[in-house]
Amino acid sequence: MEKYDVAIIGGGSAGLAALKQLSNLGKQAILFEAGSKVGSKNISGGILYSKKPKKGKTYNVEDIYENFLTDAPFERKITKYILHATSKDKVFSIDLTEAHNYEANFGCSVLMNKLNQWFLQQVTETAQKHGGGIVPGVHVRDIRWEGERTIVQTDELEEVEVKAIIAADGVNSEVAYMTGARQKFSPSQLYQGVKVVIKLPEEIMNERFSIGQDDGAAHLFAGDVTLNHIGGGFLYTNRDTLSVGAVYHLDSLLDAPVEPYDLVNTLLKNPMISEFIKDEVPVRGEIDKNMAKEEQMRIRFAVTKMIKTWTELRDAYYSKSQKERLVKEGKYGSEDEIGSQLSSIREQMSSKYGIKFETDYVEAEYSAKLVPDGKRCRMEKPYFKNILFVGDAAGRGVFVGPRIEGLNVGIDDAARAANAVARSLDKNNFSDDYLGQYYSQSVEESPYTHDLKSIDKDYLKIFLDAAKDVPKDIISAKYGMVVKMMSSKTLRNFAVGVANILGYEKLLPVIETTETYVKVPTEIAERLGKSIQSSYTPSIPPIAQRVAKLKYNDDNISHIKVLKPTSEFMKKMITLCPTGCYFMEKDGVMIQHEGCVECGTCSEETDWKHPRGEKGINYQYG
Amino acid sequence: MNSINVAVIVKLEPDFSEGNVSYNPDGTLNRAETKNILGPHSEIAVNAAFYAKVKYGANISIGTMGPPTAESMLQHAQLISDADDLYLYSDRIFAGADTLATAEVLKSGVLKMQGKMDIVFSGHRASDGETGQTGPQTAWKLGMTFLGNAIDYEINMETRTVRAKRLVRLQGIYDVVEEIEAPLPVFIAIDPSYVPKFNTVSQRLAYEKYQREATQRAQNFKQYLKTFNAAQIEADPKLIGISGSPTIVYKVERIPKGKATRQAEIIDGTDQEQIRKVVAKMRQSLSTMVIK
Ligand SMILES: Cc1cc2nc3c(=O)[nH]c(=O)nc-3n(C[C@H](O)[C@H](O)[C@H](O)COP(=O)(O)OP(=O)(O)OC[C@H]3O[C@@H](n4cnc5c(N)ncnc54)[C@H](O)[C@@H]3O)c2cc1C
Ligand code: SF4
Repeated sequence: MEKYDVAIIGGGSAGLAALKQLSNLGKQAILFEAGSKVGSKNISGGILYSKKPKKGKTYNVEDIYENFLTDAPFERKITKYILHATSKDKVFSIDLTEAHNYEANFGCSVLMNKLNQWFLQQVTETAQKHGGGIVPGVHVRDIRWEGERTIVQTDELEEVEVKAIIAADGVNSEVAYMTGARQKFSPSQLYQGVKVVIKLPEEIMNERFSIGQDDGAAHLFAGDVTLNHIGGGFLYTNRDTLSVGAVYHLDSLLDAPVEPYDLVNTLLKNPMISEFIKDEVPVRGEIDKNMAKEEQMRIRFAVTKMIKTWTELRDAYYSKSQKERLVKEGKYGSEDEIGSQLSSIREQMSSKYGIKFETDYVEAEYSAKLVPDGKRCRMEKPYFKNILFVGDAAGRGVFVGPRIEGLNVGIDDAARAANAVARSLDKNNFSDDYLGQYYSQSVEESPYTHDLKSIDKDYLKIFLDAAKDVPKDIISAKYGMVVKMMSSKTLRNFAVGVANILGYEKLLPVIETTETYVKVPTEIAERLGKSIQSSYTPSIPPIAQRVAKLKYNDDNISHIKVLKPTSEFMKKMITLCPTGCYFMEKDGVMIQHEGCVECGTCSEETDWKHPRGEKGINYQYG
Repeated sequence: MNSINVAVIVKLEPDFSEGNVSYNPDGTLNRAETKNILGPHSEIAVNAAFYAKVKYGANISIGTMGPPTAESMLQHAQLISDADDLYLYSDRIFAGADTLATAEVLKSGVLKMQGKMDIVFSGHRASDGETGQTGPQTAWKLGMTFLGNAIDYEINMETRTVRAKRLVRLQGIYDVVEEIEAPLPVFIAIDPSYVPKFNTVSQRLAYEKYQREATQRAQNFKQYLKTFNAAQIEADPKLIGISGSPTIVYKVERIPKGKATRQAEIIDGTDQEQIRKVVAKMRQSLSTMVIK
């Protein structure tokens, strides 16, 4: 049996950071990733923050990857952060940029496929130097202990023996359930996130969002767009795409199930968002069915090719760097020449093939994943024997205010876990108190853990200040007492003190309610909002079309088994599965696993595993 | 040292995928508008060679007969296989070659490669020629044992033998897997269904390492590339190009449409009623099938 010092399970941003940190410390580690390529299974919103805590230290992305700010393919640095309360066509906007900047060095928009592949490049060489590296396309099936030996079993490869394990296998961690380290997270501890990536040429985006070349905007949505659920919507600008998504509390969705894609569609149909995402889209003309078959095929292929050429050139034309590159490489004499070539292709498209140009939007990818609410589900002792849990696998997502932080938290955990394992390797001691306890203690000291346990009054004040233009009567009906206390400094300290004594557990049912996410914002929008009209109606693809567009490597065996086909929960899955994998048959609820995007929503009452290595969903953006 | 040399002969072919291919109004391929790429069967052969690199540390040479533009295809092949040497056999007089004359060039080319080859790989056939003969003919000219339709192989570095599995299709009856052992050198035409398998972590790590090296090498692929003309590979002028080709493609005819014996009913749409019709049809035909 082959032997390695450390196995990291899962190659998302957390697992990769663990490998990087271990390699930096000169340790040997191998990383198993189920996806055929690193980054193919990871999705996020996502804004990656670098934290500047008032107290304590966090390991930020740029601490782990020193060249992050200069070389990493992150999308844009977010410089505008705005919350919109919506009611039908009315929108009332509150600038929360200060909340975004709070305790942050920076926050940048990211797409996980691209970013994780960059992380991979940064780590591969050093990992190899120490005899380790990354093994993609391999799914870890089991871990067992034989005396002193820890053995990792996978679906694809021969078993290996290791001294310690870092479990970075995400919110639906199989390592956690199969070892019994913790229970599956329950719906009350989870959010369901659903996202679409939308294409939009770079310079059109700069102008539309009034942002500079490398700056970015984040827009958040609450009010009637939530369809009465606890959570909200977001729209982040990437370099030449937008991420538009909805994140809702799973309990709230189970109470009154609504199709996850409807939640996203509702956002897209909001006039403000419709205007944000709109673009010029070529529409194929009908091909004359009376023509010879060959001719029809030739035209179809020619049209496909032309649309592809036009789209690529247009993307380049609206991107400063790409435009410059095309001229530098001598493909075009000047930037103007690209422009005239573009209009000449456009002209040909309509005159020769009857292609029309309409105002619509272009969806590139649909995705979904659960997000753990760390306030409710973080593992208090994130270890089991010689396995350390990090990131989503340890349930450590920070949801405070509209910010979602999971990426940065996972990186911080990973560095701490790597440090703990390195220390154990030095002393060849992997016992509970030397490894697990030490790591647990380190995580406990992390500023993120502090955020998960108690309210920060300075952070809270930012929201109160930002909302100062909102008439008090709207809010006071529900939060009258709170508002009064919060407006005075002494009372605020006192109130937060009391709240922290009560703890999040008692507080959350009061704060995280439909009042906060739906009723109050809707009323604000109705009373104070400006009406916005959209010039078109986006043609939103039905879910079947969205799923058809995704890339899968089909597995003939289902990775999910329905255990209770007639339970109420499973019946709700017919509505709540983001890709519509469940349907009703005579004997109860059945699954058709081929369209599964491995979000985990149905995990509670199923025998849920990730697909075997390389199988399943293959995201292109993430 | 116990090392091994493998060669792959590959072919430049039109990219038939939608969005890349163009056709003339008469239905023939528009060659000027269609990009050429590494043929899909060639790609599988390149993968098979890469397996030998990962498992046995083989030295890989890739050769092709083609126009100067075939360089970028060799670059792509290097990206897949981390090839150590690339060879382009390019000469006007190669033009018009049939499979036999092509085999002559490839044979001469393989003999000019760095080191003596233990295994030569070829694809099963080309997607634009469809003859499947170039491989066997090259093997014959090289005087190598020919193993066709290989779906798997292992090398014993001590005894210098290869053990291969061949997929033998018995027309319409069933497929048999034949396992054979042969002393090196051998010529292997790889089956389209070949998928390399790496079963241990160390092999996977080696795989990743070579892939990374390949990315770097392919960026400077010209460093690894040698271009040879007919004289340089010392090919016999009588055996190459048009003059070396006993066959020519005289005419390509479209296959006449067969008489349809089945009635096709087109159901176009997605509403309940139409889907129901489709399902009913499927039920009907399934019910007449015997499932063994
Ligand atoms: C819609 C949405 C919006 C979000 N917005 C933000 C945001 O704005 N900012 C932010 O910081 N965070 C955000 N998050 C959260 C953030 O995306 C996650 O916290 C983060 O991606 C988790 O990283 P991870 O490495 O812990 O897990 P993952 O990225 O889930 O990685 C786990 C990996 O393990 C692999 N794996 C699983 N099981 C096995 C196995 N048995 N064997 C081998 N491999 C296995 C998987 O293939 C996967 O690659 C958002 C999440 C969602 C869904
Ligand atoms: S089947 Fe389950 S895990 Fe898969 S997409 Fe649907 S809800 Fe998510």
